[in-house]
Amino acid sequence: MTAEAPYQATPRRKLVVKPSTVPDKVFFGIATAAAYSAIVITSAILIFLVLRAWPAFESQGLLNFIFGSGWDTSLDPIVLHIGPMLWGSFLVATIGVIFAVPMAISIAYFIEFIAPKALAKSATILVDLLAAIPSVVIGLWGVSLFSTVAAGWAQELNSVLGWLPLFSNNAGNFLRSPFIAGLVVAVMIVPIIASITREIFSQMDQEIIKASLALGGNRESTFRKVILPTAAGGVVGGVLLGLGRALGETVAIFFVLNLVYDDFNFYQILEPKGGAVASLILAKFGEATPAEIAGLMAAGVVLFVATLIINAIASYIVAKAQPWRN
Amino acid sequence: MEKLIDLSPVERPANAQPWAKIQPRLKGVIALSSVLPAVIALAFLLISGNEFMGVLFTVFLPLQILAGGFAGFYGFGRRGILDGLLLVVTYFFATFVLVLLVSVLWSVIENGGKAISPHFFYQNNVYVDPTAPLEIGGVGHAIIGSFLIVGLATVITVPLGIATAVYITETQGKSRGLIRSLLQAMSGLPSVVAGLFIYALLIASGITQYAGFAGSLALIPLMLPTVSRVAEEALRLVPKELRNGALALGAPAWRAFLQVTLPAASSGIVTAVLLGVARVIGETAPLILTTFSANNTNLNIFEGGMSTLPTYLYNYVTMGFDTSLQRAWGAALVILILVGVLFAAARFATRSTPAPKAKKRK
Repeated sequence: MTAEAPYQATPRRKLVVKPSTVPDKVFFGIATAAAYSAIVITSAILIFLVLRAWPAFESQGLLNFIFGSGWDTSLDPIVLHIGPMLWGSFLVATIGVIFAVPMAISIAYFIEFIAPKALAKSATILVDLLAAIPSVVIGLWGVSLFSTVAAGWAQELNSVLGWLPLFSNNAGNFLRSPFIAGLVVAVMIVPIIASITREIFSQMDQEIIKASLALGGNRESTFRKVILPTAAGGVVGGVLLGLGRALGETVAIFFVLNLVYDDFNFYQILEPKGGAVASLILAKFGEATPAEIAGLMAAGVVLFVATLIINAIASYIVAKAQPWRN
Repeated sequence: MEKLIDLSPVERPANAQPWAKIQPRLKGVIALSSVLPAVIALAFLLISGNEFMGVLFTVFLPLQILAGGFAGFYGFGRRGILDGLLLVVTYFFATFVLVLLVSVLWSVIENGGKAISPHFFYQNNVYVDPTAPLEIGGVGHAIIGSFLIVGLATVITVPLGIATAVYITETQGKSRGLIRSLLQAMSGLPSVVAGLFIYALLIASGITQYAGFAGSLALIPLMLPTVSRVAEEALRLVPKELRNGALALGAPAWRAFLQVTLPAASSGIVTAVLLGVARVIGETAPLILTTFSANNTNLNIFEGGMSTLPTYLYNYVTMGFDTSLQRAWGAALVILILVGVLFAAARFATRSTPAPKAKKRK
């Protein structure tokens, strides 16, 4: 008996991973084109803004533009420097984040681990809804109701802790300070941070929490040694997203903050003097000369790059913190 | 003989039996510790007449922390102290922030309710000066403007966003990770920068004047990340077996997507659209930079001034009269109602999902 020749299957069609038929190619082509549109939009934003901003960067000098102070078009040559605004943006955003983080984590912990189910459900809906409130509405609330209340708090803070340079106030007027703007921003970003944190908490491995309790851990040690470390990456990412939102906030800060262009306010958070890049753009855009427009575009570029960096870090951290997502 | 192993019993922690009934005495202590600080603080507030916030943070909070720690110590020994503190701090902050947020909602509803009347919804703003009483004038033109501008943005963004989500979930493209992180980064794009971009691209270069569609274009980069992220989430939830089954039955990929995956994810896609609209409906800064506000109703999105609800609100706040502020509150309430309706619709759409929701984690 001769050995049979090994059976060889002849493939009826080529087995390929790539789409082979025309409609499929079109389908995947559309999807790819749409996906690349995100790249196109982002780079177009950068390119066009830089192009329009170039005259300002050129006449002012990049470092001077970013770190110098003063914004005056009546001088010759005109001065367009955003140092105080940029510092003010970070100051307000930092105040906002400092207030927002403990509250957001508390409310997320409350919803996920303490509250009874029915209450937790409605609180979740409330937080998610509040995360969608437009900032202009919060700005209206801030300027017409909250400012006066918060000015009272600021006055009290000043009367008790006024000997600290941080809380000193020489203007005698407590309205329109970075402190108030920071609080308004905090109200805006608390729901954002809270809903991200809550989501991270809810997707945590329940087993390790139960294990911690079974090993004799109490609520507090479980929170401090198990829940927080496990969720830290996601929470930090959420905080950075909130920070990015706070940096880019325009209208609400414009309503409640006194913009001072030619003088840095480094840390006196109760003085009615501060800045924010986005609000600068809004404040100066209306009656801007072409040269000033270039300066505003440049301010936009700086703002965009700053938020882009923060968001890139945030998304990296969040992705690292949620390995199950990929 | 020397004792090698210490067999004497370890001290049994007081909370070793979490399932045991809470003793009535402990219940009493807990109740007392949660009421007493509030009573003392209230009495102090009434007697000394200090500011509420000051008393809240300097009298009530320390007292409450002490009381919480004591209740924990009483019930569960030393290990209970920090538990009590954690609970007190959590409850305090959670209540504080909920009160703040509800105060935002309530103030809008209360003040906006005074400004709103039927004609506020359908009249426009012609012949209305900032100090005019609320009997005339309304936001009708701004509602129409908002719908037109956001509508055009939606028509452009939704296919783009869904196709992007398709690229991320359905294809084996090389740059999926890059696109995802880019969208993530775009979601933090400052809205004023989006407005500046369209201004630089279209208006400063003289391609067009201020017009509604420029505003729509400015909203696209703000809306795209939301739509594609939620749509991606929805497509990811469709069980792999469904699309593999379709492909195994010989359907080409586009057919498998359009006839199997997309219907299965339809409620999620609807949610994506609604959340995207909710994200941009209150955007103010980009519209201020790209559209020109108007008092009359304008149906032509390609020409002329066009007011939207947020820009109307912004204009009336900056005018600074009492009546103009009232109109602003009214507009804020209308925006809030729209956002609320969108949210309710989104929740409804998610709830009526026929397919069982797969667990997110593998």
